[in-house]
Amino acid sequence: MSNILTNIIFLPLFIAVILGVLRAPLKLLKVGAFFSSILVLLLVVFVIIDFDPKGNMQLITYLPWIQSAGIFYYIGVDALSLVVLTLIVLLMPPLYLYMYHEKRKGYWYNMMILQTGVTGAVLSLDLMLFYLFWETMLLPIFIMIGMYGSGMHQYNSMKITLMTILGSMSMLFSILYIGYIYFETYGIWSFSLDKLSLLSFNPQTSLWLTAGFLLAFVIKIPLVGFHTWMAPAYGSAPTPAVVIMSSIMAKLGIYGIWRFGFTLFEETLLFYTPFIITIALIGLLYYAIRAVSENNLRRMFAYSSGSHLSLIALGLFVNNIYAWGGSLYFIATHALASAGMFIMIGLTYQRFRTLDINSLGGIAQKAPLFTFFFAFFALSIAGIPGTGGFVAELLIIIGAFKENFILGFLTSFTMLSAMIYIFWMLQRVLFGQPNNSTPFADLNIKETLMLLPLVILLILTGVVPSLFTPYFEPYLTQLLGVAS
Amino acid sequence: MLNIIVILPFLSAFIMAVVYLSNTKPQRYFFYTLIGVGSPTIITILSLLSAYELLNGAPTIHTTLLTWINIGEFNIDISFMADKLSVVMISFITFIATFIHIYAAGYMKDDEAYGKFFSYFNLFIGSMLLLVLADNPIMMFIGWELVGLSSYLLIGFYHTESQNITAANKAFILNRVGDFGFIMGIALLFVSLEGTGFTFSSIKENISLIPLDTLNLIGIFLFVGAMGKSAQIPLYVWLPDAMAGPTPVSALIHAATMVTAGVYMVARYSFIYEELPDVGLFIAYIGAFSALLAAIIASYQSDIKKILAYSTMSQLGYMFIAVGLGAYSSGIFHVFTHAFFKALLFMGAGGIIIALHHEQNIFKMGGLKKQLKLVYITMFIATLAISGIPPFAGFFSKDAILMTTYASEHYLIWIMATFTAGLTAFYMFRLFFSVFHATPKEPLSVHSLDKSITYPLIVLAFGSATAGFLGVNAAYGGDALINNFLALPDRLTHISHSTEYLLGGLNVLLALSGMLLAYKMFAATANEPIENTFFSKLIINKFYVDEFYVMLIVKPIHLSSHLIANFIDPKIIDGFISIQINTYTKVAVLFSKLQNGQVRYYALYILTGLSLMSCYMIYKLGVI
Repeated sequence: MSNILTNIIFLPLFIAVILGVLRAPLKLLKVGAFFSSILVLLLVVFVIIDFDPKGNMQLITYLPWIQSAGIFYYIGVDALSLVVLTLIVLLMPPLYLYMYHEKRKGYWYNMMILQTGVTGAVLSLDLMLFYLFWETMLLPIFIMIGMYGSGMHQYNSMKITLMTILGSMSMLFSILYIGYIYFETYGIWSFSLDKLSLLSFNPQTSLWLTAGFLLAFVIKIPLVGFHTWMAPAYGSAPTPAVVIMSSIMAKLGIYGIWRFGFTLFEETLLFYTPFIITIALIGLLYYAIRAVSENNLRRMFAYSSGSHLSLIALGLFVNNIYAWGGSLYFIATHALASAGMFIMIGLTYQRFRTLDINSLGGIAQKAPLFTFFFAFFALSIAGIPGTGGFVAELLIIIGAFKENFILGFLTSFTMLSAMIYIFWMLQRVLFGQPNNSTPFADLNIKETLMLLPLVILLILTGVVPSLFTPYFEPYLTQLLGVAS
Repeated sequence: MLNIIVILPFLSAFIMAVVYLSNTKPQRYFFYTLIGVGSPTIITILSLLSAYELLNGAPTIHTTLLTWINIGEFNIDISFMADKLSVVMISFITFIATFIHIYAAGYMKDDEAYGKFFSYFNLFIGSMLLLVLADNPIMMFIGWELVGLSSYLLIGFYHTESQNITAANKAFILNRVGDFGFIMGIALLFVSLEGTGFTFSSIKENISLIPLDTLNLIGIFLFVGAMGKSAQIPLYVWLPDAMAGPTPVSALIHAATMVTAGVYMVARYSFIYEELPDVGLFIAYIGAFSALLAAIIASYQSDIKKILAYSTMSQLGYMFIAVGLGAYSSGIFHVFTHAFFKALLFMGAGGIIIALHHEQNIFKMGGLKKQLKLVYITMFIATLAISGIPPFAGFFSKDAILMTTYASEHYLIWIMATFTAGLTAFYMFRLFFSVFHATPKEPLSVHSLDKSITYPLIVLAFGSATAGFLGVNAAYGGDALINNFLALPDRLTHISHSTEYLLGGLNVLLALSGMLLAYKMFAATANEPIENTFFSKLIINKFYVDEFYVMLIVKPIHLSSHLIANFIDPKIIDGFISIQINTYTKVAVLFSKLQNGQVRYYALYILTGLSLMSCYMIYKLGVI
């Protein structure tokens, strides 16, 4: 069982390679991909069962890789990475089900490689290894938007790639420089997180190094000012890629700050805190207001995603248990809700062949079940009580009030931000008279079953959060205890 | 027992939703009726039982369903509490809601989405009960928000008309604006009391730990929530539009659920508000202005449901005057009596609307007293009750409030409230006479009504006539049963019995003159108000408040959205990126010019390079 994490990371890639080498027929490929996702899901269930919520890093694998440069294959899981890991493996099977009719083989291979990329990034504890996976996950996205996208997909795919690579480069520079400082101090090279965290930097260097990391993460999230890749990329990407981008990759930006930022540059981040909180607050409303006049459904929810991720980033930079708990909880629940939402949008596109809000409408008359799911996911994005998003937003608001009154007041605007666009969108998409004579089939059994787990999870996270909080609460308390 | 009271409606709503979604064809009328009406009936019995327990001196009941969340000091349970205040609330809420359900079974029976309707309806009741029975502010807030959600679903029930959805959106968004205040109040309360527990009883014990200025903020923020939910100035504009929903929904929103939540909330937090007389006065003024404004607008409306909607807002204003001035029991008492006659008025109006094939303009009706005898009599009782004519229910509760305003010595509030009382009688009888007495302009064809529609009217008419006796003041020979039972921290007022008789007499006189005026103007022939003067134009258009909000809030949001889409994003942020790209391109063009493939140019570059190198060696390194 000791290498269970390695299996979790590489199983999809391994299966993809085997299927590729064997030039597997489409049917086998589909089965293989789905099988791999289920298998990984089971493995993660094992991890969760054995997981000790009070413990630190667990299931550590520490193997030499490029010894002369001090690069190790160093992976492990703690409460933080477990949340994101669980999300990844929960979302993959529904996505494969969604892709059921997809005939292009490359699509399936890309998804499997993507899974390895994101899982690896979540679990690695060696900066070089992390960087490797961080770049690995960009590649399939580049291909999926560029080859299988719609609209100006090639341009948009270049745009996201270049902008994220700009961040990655600055991060790589920081990583190398930290390794070098370690070498200067101890005489050997190392990129292992636990060793590097022992270093102390002089303030000036530390500012630059932190900025290098932050740029990568802030672009990935993205916060306002670094976001212009987002709407075009979301708009052009095929649905599974959008789901991965919004539900997982954006969260990895947050996760990166949490894992690497707070471990390495605890104090320097304090310097950046006011700046990040400010742009996060701006982002919360900026994206929401921008979404109002957006007529493409998928792009609208790209902005929506940006708005909520700003809130998560905000919670991360408010150092108390409520805000942190809320942020982590929001990472999970928002991923579920936005995955559901983007799948619904994908299904809308499959039926109508358009995502222009003004040419939709009247769906409620034709497809009640579809309407229910669509409205449910939209409302859970708006943070209706009874869904997990509400719990998360409530916690973040309380955390902000604990910090200070003004911050609390401004953060509470999250109650209104989603209102601005979601209800008007629902009105134009679902209700009224149809603007479109295309027949609209209701959800079939397969689609319902694919969406049902997401609905159940969202309701569970909203109605009984106490089922989930014990997995991360002790750990966060401990982290905060160390920090203060 | 409390667990069952709250869970049951959610459960029945869930079952009906699943059944409905699995097969949306209009069928299973019996199944939906059985579950949809059965579950409120059961909870009514349970609620009355728990009220009976408390009446017999049992202490406050607490039950815990499960732990909701544990993070840091934020330990919240899904737990319920029935104290005297909440049992009074749930008794009449469930009782009236059950009759509205029975009524709805008749009213909606031909609707295709009958199952969906009852699913939403039960959800609505469940949310309201969660709100009322919550043991901590967080559960209350969840109920509070779910009430908003259910109202959104029900107001937008006829979803094929886009304007109904607009009304639903408006209701939900304005409620959310209120919730925005409410959640700030709760968060501030929690942060100020962190670590001392967060149930109503523990908050009450530790309230003295909070500094007064923070407490002031908390009080105001919480009240912002009430403004939204209970449709007070300035967040009231959703209420008249909420008439877009089916009439049973209006009855439920206005009588048993939703709008009364704000008053209940203030009474629930009375231990905070009793410390804050200034905030209380603010609440009372908001209530007084809302009452007056709504009554003025109601006097110029012609849609039967809108008149009733404004009258609700006006009556809610009275309730807020009461709780604002510290007369919490009188406020709750008026909530109680109002629930009976307002439900009755809406259900009667619904009956009339159905009977007249969905006509809602009172000036196109007339002379219905013969055709709809039962509706006529019951509506008459309700109209007398709301106008404050003794001995009907409204008189006692309204009189108690007016007395409080006089005793508080805030005479401006008293004048506004008293004037509104006269106005209420006027606009209510204007409606009554136009519908039942005036000669119709053209002959009307009148449907007969179902028994499930008319019978609930009789029950509620009985309630409207007698509910007031539960709270008769000492001056009128009663002993204010309900006030004594509630045991809320009412501010004591001293007023002699003779003043009380005088004030009571004045109110009845005003009500009677309002009634007489309405009789003179509308009993024979009723004409629609016309926009001929500046004032009538202003009032008929509801003081242009909607237009004002659109201009002040909606337009700027759209404008800034377009500004971001067309300028900030592409020009500034992407512009910054484009500058870099353009620089690269220009440099590349420059380089490609250098690299032009002609040998003599390359020779020139070599020469230049060599010369520069030589210069460097000679002058810098001193080679020669």
